[in-house]
Amino acid sequence: MSVLVEPVIQTVKLSKVYRSGFRMKRVRALVDLDLEIEKGETFGFLGPNGAGKTTLIKILMGLASPSSGQARIFGRPPRDARVKSRIGFLPESPYFYEYLTAMEFLRLSAQLSGVPGQEAEARVRRLLKLVRMEDAANVQMRGFSRGMLQRIGVAQALVNDPELVILDEPMGGLDPIGRKEFRDIIAKLRKQGKTVFFSTHILSDVEMICDRVGIVIAGRLVNTGRLTEILTEKAESIEVTVTGVTGKFRKVLERVAQQSIRSGDSLLLTVRGDDEVERVMAIVREAKAKVSAIVPRRKTLEDYFMARVREAGRN
Amino acid sequence: MGSRIRGIALNTFREAIRDKVLLTLLVFAILVMGSAKVIQPLALGEESKVIKDLGLASITLFCVLIAVLVGGRLVYKEVEKRTIYIMLSKPVRRWEFILGKYFGLMAVLLVSMLIMTGGFYITLFLTGIPASAYLLWSLLMTLFELAILTAVAILFSSFVTPITSAVFTFAVYFVGHLTRDLRLLAAMSPSPVVKAVSQFLYYVLPNLSNFNIRGEVVHNVLLHPQALALSALYAVVYTATLLLVSVAIFSRKDF
Ligand SMILES: Nc1ncnc2c1ncn2[C@@H]1O[C@H](COP(=O)(O)OP(=O)(O)O)[C@@H](O)[C@H]1O
Ligand SMILES: [Mg+2]
Repeated sequence: MSVLVEPVIQTVKLSKVYRSGFRMKRVRALVDLDLEIEKGETFGFLGPNGAGKTTLIKILMGLASPSSGQARIFGRPPRDARVKSRIGFLPESPYFYEYLTAMEFLRLSAQLSGVPGQEAEARVRRLLKLVRMEDAANVQMRGFSRGMLQRIGVAQALVNDPELVILDEPMGGLDPIGRKEFRDIIAKLRKQGKTVFFSTHILSDVEMICDRVGIVIAGRLVNTGRLTEILTEKAESIEVTVTGVTGKFRKVLERVAQQSIRSGDSLLLTVRGDDEVERVMAIVREAKAKVSAIVPRRKTLEDYFMARVREAGRN
Repeated sequence: MGSRIRGIALNTFREAIRDKVLLTLLVFAILVMGSAKVIQPLALGEESKVIKDLGLASITLFCVLIAVLVGGRLVYKEVEKRTIYIMLSKPVRRWEFILGKYFGLMAVLLVSMLIMTGGFYITLFLTGIPASAYLLWSLLMTLFELAILTAVAILFSSFVTPITSAVFTFAVYFVGHLTRDLRLLAAMSPSPVVKAVSQFLYYVLPNLSNFNIRGEVVHNVLLHPQALALSALYAVVYTATLLLVSVAIFSRKDF
């Protein structure tokens, strides 16, 4: 990637500390986060609940200020109004003015984004169609379901034809069909050359549509990269199912394996690489037990993710 | 810039007119003024002045209620319901947001006042009391007073809950009408603490009694244009200052 091109999003040692509760307990929501998103990328920001995803997005949107470090969007501070006119934003579990109809709300969004009048009308209609909300265009939003609000949320985020789209858990609370539709919309934006940054705690969301993912756990960015790189970073794992081991031998096996799950007299062991399989086999022979299955497993993002969460838990 | 403030103001206006609180207050106000018809037999001579005074007073009171109740929720609700995220993610500056909210509520007050004034004049007409346009001066001054009060409500609304905000704004309204007494208290009190506090309140709180010219207009007393203009100027300066403070607080806020 060219060094001359300014990253669309850049954070340098970005940290956020919240003080909350009666004792003003410190919560480190973000810790020295360095991140760069290039133009045209679709970036999935992945992390469990409470990892700091929304906090980062709020800082990027100028809704919250960093405790230290800095964030830049298009090379400018996030609070800059000129930056805002190039961004579309969908907040987490969005809520809009319930007394407005979908149409009125989108018109207001267009007006606030500085979209000229005639242009706005055409755009609002096009967006209502994109998110399949034409039928509810003239209905007050007070009765809208979560999914409907999410759709209108996407429509309002796109009303200024933004270069950068930031979505906080866009698929949260949606059913599988809704999720699929959202993935399609994101894919469409990507095809249009827009930069898309979205957060999620659901792995399958990023697996299909992202160029790159960042994994955030407890406020720290533990890894970023192409999915294929992240997944082949370490050896694949192998699942070995053993039956009839007891006592001492079982303890030894459990120590050899990365992970072990006991069920009755059988033991499901997850091991890394052939050497460990050999060791397991040797112990099993010695224990006069039986290996009932050996299943090589391609490493999924989920495994990776779980491993990182466990690591973070240990620290 | 103008278009964004207008957009937010219109949205605020829409919210208010589609809200039950405003409608309830308006209906109630019209009923109160309509009740003048009941005391019609008294409405001869001096009593017609009582009805005029009551009418003007209730318009003022209901407008104050709207400013306090609607104003107290104005910013808070946007934060609470997180609609503020949408607003501030657009190229809207925070001061534009505050001004939009402010002008939106002022528009609500203006329209409510027009409606109530219409009701008031109809009541006067029906009760056979001669209605002169001279009374309107009093409402104009009320409008300036409301300008201050709305700014007070917005200021509180940006950092305390609606109920607290309403209580505070009411307190400001009441004490604002007693500022002369405050000065008196400051001068007379032997206690230095009371002296200091009342002096402080006297300087900080708006002096609202100047905006009450009901007695003058009802009794057809000659008004002093310079005094009125000075009060208006005072309202503008005081309001601008409060809005500046609100914007300063609001700009530092994390959501
Ligand atoms: N306004 C706040 N005050 C105090 N703590 C907060 C606030 N917002 C978030 N947090 C805390 O910061 C951490 C990160 O939260 P958040 O960014 O919302 O995570 P995510 O979006 O990944 O679920 C959590 O521990 C959360 O409790
Ligand atoms: Mg979140």
